[in-house]
Amino acid sequence: MHNKRGKMLLSMLFTASMLLSACSGSNTQSNSGSAGTDQGGEEKVKLVVWIWEQAKAGIDLNMDRFKEAYPNIEVEFQTMKSTDLYQKYLVSSNTDDAVPDVLALESTNLSQMVEINSLLDITERVAPYKDNIVPYKWKDATMDDKIYAMPWDSGPVVMFYRNDLFAKAGLPTDPDEVAAKIKTWDDYYQAAKLVKEKTGAFMYGDSKTNSSNRVFESMMWQRGYWYFDENGKVTVDSPEVKEITDYLIKMQQEELVYDARANSDPWGNAIGEGKIASVVGGSWHDAIIEKQYSPQDSGKWSVTTMPKWSADDKYGGANQGGSNMAINKNSKHPEEAWKFIEFMLGDKESQTKMMLEAGLFPSLKTVYSDSAMDKQFDYFKGQPILKVYAQSLESTYPLAYTSDFPMANKLMTDVWAKVFLNDASSGDALKTMADELRQKTKRE
Amino acid sequence: MGKTRWNRQMRYAPYLYISPYFILFGIFSLYPIIYSFYLSLTEWNGASDKLFIGLDNYTALLKDHYFWLSLWNSLVIFLMYVPLMLFLGLIFASMLNAKWMVGKGFFRMALFVPNFVSVVAVSFVFVLLFNTQDGLINTFLLNLSWIKSPLPWLDSPWWARFSVALMVLYRWLGYNMLLLLTGLQSIPKDLYEAAYVDGATKVKSFFFITIPLVKKMLLFCTVLSTIGTFSLFTEPYILTKGGPLNSTLTPVLMLYNESFQNFNFGYASSIAVCFFILMMSISLIQMRLFDEK
Repeated sequence: MHNKRGKMLLSMLFTASMLLSACSGSNTQSNSGSAGTDQGGEEKVKLVVWIWEQAKAGIDLNMDRFKEAYPNIEVEFQTMKSTDLYQKYLVSSNTDDAVPDVLALESTNLSQMVEINSLLDITERVAPYKDNIVPYKWKDATMDDKIYAMPWDSGPVVMFYRNDLFAKAGLPTDPDEVAAKIKTWDDYYQAAKLVKEKTGAFMYGDSKTNSSNRVFESMMWQRGYWYFDENGKVTVDSPEVKEITDYLIKMQQEELVYDARANSDPWGNAIGEGKIASVVGGSWHDAIIEKQYSPQDSGKWSVTTMPKWSADDKYGGANQGGSNMAINKNSKHPEEAWKFIEFMLGDKESQTKMMLEAGLFPSLKTVYSDSAMDKQFDYFKGQPILKVYAQSLESTYPLAYTSDFPMANKLMTDVWAKVFLNDASSGDALKTMADELRQKTKRE
Repeated sequence: MGKTRWNRQMRYAPYLYISPYFILFGIFSLYPIIYSFYLSLTEWNGASDKLFIGLDNYTALLKDHYFWLSLWNSLVIFLMYVPLMLFLGLIFASMLNAKWMVGKGFFRMALFVPNFVSVVAVSFVFVLLFNTQDGLINTFLLNLSWIKSPLPWLDSPWWARFSVALMVLYRWLGYNMLLLLTGLQSIPKDLYEAAYVDGATKVKSFFFITIPLVKKMLLFCTVLSTIGTFSLFTEPYILTKGGPLNSTLTPVLMLYNESFQNFNFGYASSIAVCFFILMMSISLIQMRLFDEK
C-alpha cells in the first residue's frame, strides 16, 4: 500500500494536466449548451468564477444587484482554497482552457500568476480606474507596462492593541495618544517591556522556528525595502534589512513575543486568553480577533497606526495581503467577464458593501470619502476604525510583492530558525538566504 | 475456414480483453511518465514555452543539498519508526494469533482503523496534539509535572522528525500487523507442539520458531516501509510543512514545493525521475526477495 500511495502521488502530479483538461473539456461543452440563445434579445452568457469562500462572501452581497443590472449574465462560482486555485489555473491555462472566465488572485501570488502569461491584458479597460486606486496595487498586476488584473481589497497594516493591558502597563489607551506614545519601533520595544513587566503578557505573537514573517515584512515594506529591490536584485542581505531582523531577534530573545505562528490556532487562543497585547497586522485582523478568537472581549481592543522605523520616515504604512481579479486569456466571454469585475470592484456601492459587511477594505479610493467610513464599531469601543485603515493605506510605500515572493517568504522562515535553533548570526543567515535566492531565481 | 477463424480469435481475444487496462495505463501512467522524462530536460514555469537545457536540471539536483537532505531525512524517519513498528506489529500479531486471546475481531479492527481514516484529518488531530504552546500532550505532561517546559514536538529538527515518525507508526502499524498475522498463520502448529514437548518455553518458541519463519514477511514489510517513507507527503506537509529548517523535507514534498510553489516544473520533473529510479531499485530488490522462495 505504501508503494501504491507513492505511485499515486506521482501519477497525480503527472496526470493532473490530462485529467483536468478532460474534466474542464466537458465543462466547456456544458457551458455552450446552457448558453443557448434567448429568443427575445441578447445571448445568455454563463461566466465561471474561481474564488475562495471568504472572498465570495463579499461578492455574494452584491449579486442581487448584479443580476438586476445584467440579467443576461449568469455567474457560476467554483470555490476552492486559494492555493488550490493557483495550481488548478496553472493546469487549465496550460491546456488553453476557456474555464474559468474570471479568477480571484491574492496580491502575494499575483505577480507569479501574471508571469505565466495566461491572463487577459486589461490595460485599456482599467484605464479609467488608474488614478482611483491606491498606487501600490498596480505594481504586481503589471508586466511590461501592461496591466493584467483589477485590484480589489488591501490589507493596510495597523496596530490592534488591548486597552486593558496597555492601561495596566501604564501606557495610554486613546488611539491618538497611543500613536503619539508609540511612534517608532523603539517606542514599541519599550512599551513591550512595560507590558511584560506589569502584566506578564506578550507584546505580539510570532514563531521562532516557523515564522510567517508578516511583522518582518511589514517593517521592510513601510521603509521601502523588500526581499528584492526595484530592479529585481536580491537585497535581503542589505544592512537595513539586517537592522530590522536584529530588532525582531532582540524582541524574541528578551521574551517579549509569544512563540506561535501568527494566525495559527495557538496564536489565536493566546489572543482569546489575553496573553497578547498587540497585533501589528493587516486590517483584516479585525474580523479574526472579533469573530474567531476573542468574541468575548468587546470593548477591549482599539486600533491605531503602526510604529515607524524612525519618526520622520515619509511612509508609515505597509500592506499585508489583499486580492485582485483577472480574466482568463482564453475566456470566451471577456466582455461579460469585465462587466462582472467592473461591477464588483469598480463600483463604489459594491465596494462599500464589501467593506462594511465582509471586512474587505477596498483599494478604490473613492470609497474613502464616503460617509460609510465614519461607521463606529461597537467591538472596538465605538471607534471609526475604517478611517485608521484609510490613513495607513494613504501612507503605504508603493511596493510590489514580486513574483518570487512565495519562495523568499519560505526561505526567510529558515533564517529565524537558524538564528534561534542553531545560534547562527543574523548576518550569516541572511547572506546564505540571499545567495540561495539569487541562485534559485537567477537574479543578481 | 471456420477453424482458422476460431484459432485467430483464440489467439487475439485475450489481448482484447486485457486491453482496457493497458490503454488506460498508457494514457494515465506511461505517457505522463515519459512526458516528465522529457520535462526534466527543460526549464519550464508551467505555462510559457519550454526551454531545452539538456541535463542541467540533473547536475543542479545532484549538487542541491536540499535533495540530499530530503533523502537523509527519510532515512532518519525510517530508522525511527520501522524497527519499532515491526516489533510492535509482531507482538500484536502473535497476541491476535494466540488461542487465549478474546475479542480478536475487535482488536484487529481497532489496530487497522488508522490506516484507512483520512490522513488529512488525522494530521490535523496530530497538529492539535503536538502543538508546543497548548497542545494536548504538552498540557498533559506539564500538569503531571513530568516535564518542566513544553517539548518542541514540531519546533526542533529532531523532535519534528520524531513526531512525523510517530504519526507514520500510528498509521501503518495495523497494516503491517495484518501482513505479519498472515505470515504467522501459515506457520504449522505442530512445530510449536514439538517444541512444547521438547520443553521449550513460550518465549523461546517465539524467538526460535516464530521469528525465523516470518522473516520473509518482515523483510517484505521493511521494503514496503522504505518506499513508503521516501514518498511521505501528507504527514510532513500538514504537520510541519517540511520544517523546521527542512528537517522533515521528503523527496516528494520537495517535488511539490518546486513545482507548485516555485513553478520550476523542469526541475521538479528531474526530482521525479531520480525518485522513480530510486523506487524502481527498491522494487527490484523487493522482487528479488520474493523470487528466492
